[in-house]
Amino acid sequence: MNYSPATRAHFDAAAGAGRLDGPGVVRGAAGSAAAGTWVQFDLRIRQDAAGARTVSEARFLAFGCPHTIAAADWLVGVATGIAPAATLPEPVHALQQRLGVPVEKLGRLLTVEDAWLSAMRAALALTVV
Amino acid sequence: MSLAAYLDCAATTPLDPAVAALMSRLLTGADSFGNPSSATHHYGDRAREIVATARAQVAAAVGAADADIVWTSGATEANNLALFGITGYYANQGRHIVTSRTEHRAVLDPCRELGRRGWRVTYLTPGEDGGIDPAQVEAALQPDTVLVSIMHVNNEIGVIQDIGAIAALCARHGGARLHVDAAQSVGKIALDCTALGVDALSLSAHKAYGPKGVGALVVPRARGLQLEARQFGGGQERGLRAGTLATHQLAGMGAAFGIAARDLPADAARIAGLRELLWAGVAAVGGVTRNGAAGRSVPQLLNVSFDGVEGESLMAAVAPRLALSSGSACASASAEPSYVLRALGRSDRLAEASLRFGLGRFTTAADIETAIEVVTAAVRRLRRIGGQ
Repeated sequence: MNYSPATRAHFDAAAGAGRLDGPGVVRGAAGSAAAGTWVQFDLRIRQDAAGARTVSEARFLAFGCPHTIAAADWLVGVATGIAPAATLPEPVHALQQRLGVPVEKLGRLLTVEDAWLSAMRAALALTVV
Repeated sequence: MSLAAYLDCAATTPLDPAVAALMSRLLTGADSFGNPSSATHHYGDRAREIVATARAQVAAAVGAADADIVWTSGATEANNLALFGITGYYANQGRHIVTSRTEHRAVLDPCRELGRRGWRVTYLTPGEDGGIDPAQVEAALQPDTVLVSIMHVNNEIGVIQDIGAIAALCARHGGARLHVDAAQSVGKIALDCTALGVDALSLSAHKAYGPKGVGALVVPRARGLQLEARQFGGGQERGLRAGTLATHQLAGMGAAFGIAARDLPADAARIAGLRELLWAGVAAVGGVTRNGAAGRSVPQLLNVSFDGVEGESLMAAVAPRLALSSGSACASASAEPSYVLRALGRSDRLAEASLRFGLGRFTTAADIETAIEVVTAAVRRLRRIGGQ
């Protein structure tokens, strides 16, 4: 299969792969390796003096195709500084176009979205001391 | 741009330089362009002479007589001619076929079509090692079985089937004719279709350093097999396969098979050494399964499944530096897990995460070192990304 330059670059680098732990870290996951696609996001949430919350660090783990890994890597790359919200930074179809994901693999991106939203819901529910 | 190391010789092999030189000479020769069917001038005589030489070379390489060779466009056409030709001719004697689940699509698809036309087809499941036990064939034979089609060397895992034992069972049955797809055999393993007792044998040139677009169905006349013709329009090839013969293609196949037969012992020993080096190297990454029994496979093939990695990502990770496949190249476009590996009992996930290394005459130790380095790095990286 031919991959877009953006997918190839994110897949080859996967600079955001890994785990986070410690205070302020939330985790969300979706899919299963047995079913072919599994994605997990770890987000470190920081709250400023005014009570505003932002993502200060993000990492992902993924078992899946190059498009899945590329999408997860792109998301953690843009996550820093955004406020927790129950949406992707851009709609799934925009992400599909950005990475050149073929329509038959849209389901993989939906698994990535589910994992992201799971992490974001955990971030919204997080009690920051 | 540097080329990836080529380890896909089960899909196709590069043209041997000596074969290419011969074909080039024939394509540009002043008297080698004639029609072998032309009987009234030198050009036709010369073309017939070239074809006769090729026929003798191919026959010698597989233990057949010259007159047993029926030229085709490749093994796919040869398989179609055998399956439809045999069932067409013997349809009044029975309506049952025996084959295996790990045959090439060029056998399975004709069998499915014959199934649609009312034939009963028994698909044998190989053991975990990829082998068909001849006892399975014996148990599957029915009074109205007219055809058994079992491949010699599997194109994905390299396992060699016990054709001699299966042929003996067919002979004892009396009515079951044996067709063998031997597209992967020439140059990899000694092949004597007369000694084996095969009724029809499919061959391909491009799997043995010959040109694409040419093959043969070997139909030993001494065994008396009859075939219904599939192609009409000139009566060539014993009336079974009409059409002007492609002289340079046939010469290329003949030369390639001559070289393959001559170099088989040396090639097999050298390549077996490289394959075991490769296996030891990739196995060191852990969590690997060797598909197909090492003790009964040709040295040119190594098929390995990797736990904990996703198949498409594995292929994407290695592809920039290694030219190989995750299964049959003919099935790769389907993006489905290999049906051969599934027939061996592998899960879909494990079958997807498999690599078929096809080694050949021009594979070097440096290619193997590259493969070990690239595959090991890719598997480790993908397992890390997957959280292992």
